[in-house]
Amino acid sequence: MMWSAIKAFIVKELKLTFRSKASIFWIIAWPAIWLLMTAYVFVPPATGQPMTLKVGVVNYDVGSTSPFNGTTLIQILNESEYKGAKLFQVKVYENETPMLEDIRRGRLDGGFTIPEGFGENIIFGQARLKVYVGARSLQSAQIAESILRGFIQGLNNGISMRKVNETLRYIEIYSEKYMPKNLTIPVAGNRSWLDFMRDWMIGLASPINVSFQDVKPKAFVERSSILGWYTFGAIGMSLLYSGLIIGSTMAVREKEAGTLRRILASPATSTDMLVGKTLSGLITLGIMSAIIVILGVYPCGAKIIWNPMNPAHWLAIILLILVSIMVIGIGMILSLIARTTESASNLSVVLGLMLAFIAGIWFPKSWLPTWMKFLADIFPATWAIDGMRSALVYGATAAELMPTFLKVLAAATISYLIGIIAYKKTLRRYVVA
Amino acid sequence: MLKVKYGVAGDPSIEMGVDVCLMVRDVSKRFGDRVAVDGVSFKVHRGEIYGLLGPNGAGKTTLLSMIAGILEPDSGEISIDGLNALDPKTRGRVGYCPQEPIVYDNLTGLENMMFYAGLHGLSGGHVKQRCRELLDQMGLGEYASRKVKTYSGGMKKRLSFAITLIGEPELLLLDEPTTGMDPRIRRSVWESILRLKEEGKTIILATHYMEEADELSDRVAIMDLGKVVAEGSPEDLKNRYGPKAVIDVELSKPATDPEAMIEEVKPYASEGRVMCRNGELRVHVDDPDIVAPKIVSELVRMGVGLKTLKITTPTLEDVFLRLTGRRLIEG
Ligand SMILES: Nc1ncnc2c1ncn2[C@@H]1O[C@H](COP(=O)(O)OP(=O)(O)OP(=O)(O)O)[C@@H](O)[C@H]1O
Ligand SMILES: [Mg+2]
Repeated sequence: MMWSAIKAFIVKELKLTFRSKASIFWIIAWPAIWLLMTAYVFVPPATGQPMTLKVGVVNYDVGSTSPFNGTTLIQILNESEYKGAKLFQVKVYENETPMLEDIRRGRLDGGFTIPEGFGENIIFGQARLKVYVGARSLQSAQIAESILRGFIQGLNNGISMRKVNETLRYIEIYSEKYMPKNLTIPVAGNRSWLDFMRDWMIGLASPINVSFQDVKPKAFVERSSILGWYTFGAIGMSLLYSGLIIGSTMAVREKEAGTLRRILASPATSTDMLVGKTLSGLITLGIMSAIIVILGVYPCGAKIIWNPMNPAHWLAIILLILVSIMVIGIGMILSLIARTTESASNLSVVLGLMLAFIAGIWFPKSWLPTWMKFLADIFPATWAIDGMRSALVYGATAAELMPTFLKVLAAATISYLIGIIAYKKTLRRYVVA
Repeated sequence: MLKVKYGVAGDPSIEMGVDVCLMVRDVSKRFGDRVAVDGVSFKVHRGEIYGLLGPNGAGKTTLLSMIAGILEPDSGEISIDGLNALDPKTRGRVGYCPQEPIVYDNLTGLENMMFYAGLHGLSGGHVKQRCRELLDQMGLGEYASRKVKTYSGGMKKRLSFAITLIGEPELLLLDEPTTGMDPRIRRSVWESILRLKEEGKTIILATHYMEEADELSDRVAIMDLGKVVAEGSPEDLKNRYGPKAVIDVELSKPATDPEAMIEEVKPYASEGRVMCRNGELRVHVDDPDIVAPKIVSELVRMGVGLKTLKITTPTLEDVFLRLTGRRLIEG
């Protein structure tokens, strides 16, 4: 191998790449569009933060003397908090018509109508409450509905428990007067009659005592981590089609430029060309990944951790290099079927985007139908990208990355070796033809 | 029997006092069922310009590719200074300038030069200087830092030519170096080629311009359909195969019935060789002083107007016609 020739190829390739508008589009503009779109449309800045719903209230239960009435409800709405932020911003309306109009126009996330007699009924029977769910924006509609449902359920349980306790208080007072003391109920484990009554009534009011706990790791629900995930998705997507283009056009580009014969007649060998073009390809893909990371972190707010002392992070960089080599190798194999620069580039872009979309690189695996999940599980590029995500977004350790690293290393070696055979075959065809 | 893989049995480089730089022996190459080069043999002496003259498809490019070591002959042998052409060691000695431009449109002239300099193992500060010198020599100095896509076809060819010289090769293979150049630029390239010869380079020049082969070559091989049909110095070839003289008639307007006109003139021509193209009549003759007036009167009788009539000496074109019955450049 001749270093000056390899260097000449690297310099030439980088100049040609970064002077071509088409390359700039695919290397920078395309991933930037997807990333920014994701950051500002699909995972907007408010995602994962406590949300304040705008709600309207019409209170027909004015002047009620009940200890819990429409006014109390409005006060509760005003005071509800979640993670230190107000849950509702309340606007009181005189009657339903203007409130419904505002909900329809998207000015409110929802509304409550408190009917007359609400306070009386809540104490002595069943109170009615009308709840409207609006759709201020696409992604807030679902959230608004779940918040409102959650709130009503909490309110229901709270009021039930109050009613139970209130009733029990009376029962206690009267039972002291008229019941024998220490009356126990044998079938209920000899508990005292009062305890039994309490349990039974609580059961009536709220048959299942459910406790929900947030078990999702914090990293998955924070916007910055979601964007970290997508940043590597954008890297994976661009790396797939760019790497395929680099591999599949390696020989045919020289043939079409008319330079191939002259290159092969020089003291440099086809191996120098292969090494030079692979290295320049790795540099290009590296620059591209760096730009995507910067775009992900700065305008979009992705969380990507980097600590030069952490071996897992270096292992993630090695994964990036290996997956690049692997994809370039697959590209060289494609050159057997795509015999012009144009057809090779088109095939690479189509195949690259398709694989990114169906193999769990751009869309999360959990969204995919079963057969695509299977594909995602067996596609080595997905292993590598997921490995980088786990290290640089979710903080996996080097030991945890090791199995992925070994698998990707094997896949890259095999792909590139087959790629070399395809490359030599392609060259032979082009020199004779 | 002793078989010598590289080089040729005996000492190929010393032969009757001349220094043989390139030896081609019985080389054939076929593509599918098409024979591109068919049993070609010749020797090129050190320091000479050797012309390969032939029409489109004669096999010149195929032959040069084999000499450049990028195509393997089906049979036969090619050796350069005693080394097989496929031996990587010959790569540094041979400067191949293919027929098609070998430059990248999105690089500047200088960047193209620097790229090929790298391929020839050159690096370091003096390389850029050397590249600039070569560009100056080819008259491209002031365009050195312009992108090649702004170059004309002739400029691209000159750049390719400059690139060929980059590794200081001893043997130059020039495949149609002046195709597509205007006459003035062509002259300047011819001068460069002659200058390289003076520097002691050996040059093989494939061309289908007979003036180019005639003007530059010490010896010419005339190729047709993959075979060398004649070899010798241009003078020698003209003497051996050419007619005594050629009469060139420029007609005042294109002939209405060229076939009939040719038939009328044929009896006066040597071996009946008359060609008509674009209002020009070319007649091979053995005795111009006697035949010329007769041809004129025959044309006048047919009502064909004459503009000029020239009696000239034969060219390699006429040699080619004599040998193959066809013209070098069809048209
Ligand atoms: N790769 C190839 N596959 C098939 N046929 C080929 C190939 N290369 C050349 N030929 C054929 O071989 C013959 C010689 O071609 P070649 O290019 O060597 O001729 P040439 O003398 O250089 O012609 P030109 O003046 O047009 O450059 C032609 O008939 C051509 O069609
Ligand atoms: Mg040719």
